[in-house]
Amino acid sequence: MSREAYQVPSMGGQNAFSNDAGYSNSMAIDTPSVVYLCGECSARVALKRGDQIRCKDCGHRVLYKERTKRMVQFEAR
Amino acid sequence: MAPLVPSQGELQRRRLIGINAETVTNIPSTDFPGHWPGESHGWALDKFKNDFKVDYHRNDPYEASFSLIGLDAAVANAFRRILMAEIPTLAIETVYVHNNTSVIQDEVLAQRLGLIPLKGSVEGINWMHWEQKSTGDEASAAPELTDFNTVVMHLVVECTKNPDAAEDETDARKLFHNAHVYAKHLTFEPVGRQEQYFVGEGAIRPVNPDILIAKMRPGQQIEMELHCVKGIGADHAKFSPVATASYRLLPDIHIQRPIIGNDAKKFAKCFPKGVIGLEPVTSQEASQAGSGYEGHAGEMKAVVKDAFNDTVSRECLRHEEFQGKVKLGRVRDHFIFNIESSGQFESDTLFLEAVKVLKLKCARWKRGLDDLMA
Repeated sequence: MSREAYQVPSMGGQNAFSNDAGYSNSMAIDTPSVVYLCGECSARVALKRGDQIRCKDCGHRVLYKERTKRMVQFEAR
Repeated sequence: MAPLVPSQGELQRRRLIGINAETVTNIPSTDFPGHWPGESHGWALDKFKNDFKVDYHRNDPYEASFSLIGLDAAVANAFRRILMAEIPTLAIETVYVHNNTSVIQDEVLAQRLGLIPLKGSVEGINWMHWEQKSTGDEASAAPELTDFNTVVMHLVVECTKNPDAAEDETDARKLFHNAHVYAKHLTFEPVGRQEQYFVGEGAIRPVNPDILIAKMRPGQQIEMELHCVKGIGADHAKFSPVATASYRLLPDIHIQRPIIGNDAKKFAKCFPKGVIGLEPVTSQEASQAGSGYEGHAGEMKAVVKDAFNDTVSRECLRHEEFQGKVKLGRVRDHFIFNIESSGQFESDTLFLEAVKVLKLKCARWKRGLDDLMA
């Protein structure tokens, strides 16, 4: 892609990743939500694709992934 | 020619290691054939049985102190080393972490868990098998987990807020539930035949329930499965059944020339309390010419009360006034053992266990020799 063909994403929506409102709404119905942890109040925040990245309790904008659900083995030595 | 027999005094002198201000003399033992011309020092079972002595000073479940008298240093040291490194005990070996959101990292937590001393029915622990750990080769696969080689424990703790806590509470232990994770939170689940051995008081549990494992805050949780196996101290220190196992030689203090009056008080202060006592010089001693007590009747003289408790600090050798009056030493074949159990077995049984291991090693060595001759 040439430099000239690049389109700056419009910042019309609240979220830079969901500039197409119709697209995100249609996907929200069948995309599974992922649980994140708030970096400020460590509340559990369930987000779907296209959701605003923001804690629903305190409004903090840094969220962390949860620890893996897989079992991890260690040697006690 | 009949072998020469040394006098009792000479034998006593040979037993002593000399401890001087700067040097230690007469260290190696000499009671073996060919050292003293004309004397026979061949080892004989009857003689050993006759001379060997065991004295118990203290025998608590987790701390024992006793003397072995008439033993070679090599054998005493073998017992000490076997105690520390070759008696199998049970300890947490593998940690399966299902969840750990506490601030302490999984591997650090696993290492801490491994070092927790466990106790349980001694009969059950003896029934369990100890297997040499696989070297990691593909041929030597990990042993199958069974009731006689693996004990399963769980650590499942979640920290929550305590709604009953006072408003101005600052102590995290009262403000939250399970803010501190202790060894008592470890739970044991018997499997198979373990249900017969590890019941009631015999259940596998930490020796000390108040060992702090981790600290948490509300919302954090730990969920892990712990597999305990038997192992030996040579593999990892967590398997060592003793906290300390050590010996020292019996100290010997010989006052060669009288120490009287203020000097005697100063002399007593050079040693731990109770080692040196003060006694009045009797008129009989004072009247004896050449004893060094002439004209000192009624004054206090220093006498050796209890050399056992001496630390052999050599402090008395630093002072001008005691020069040539005292001789310090240690008895070469008197080993004062001190065994402190970490809690899985009782201290005195640990020593018997060490004897058993040494006997097994000797039997193996003998078999090897037989194979060599065949």
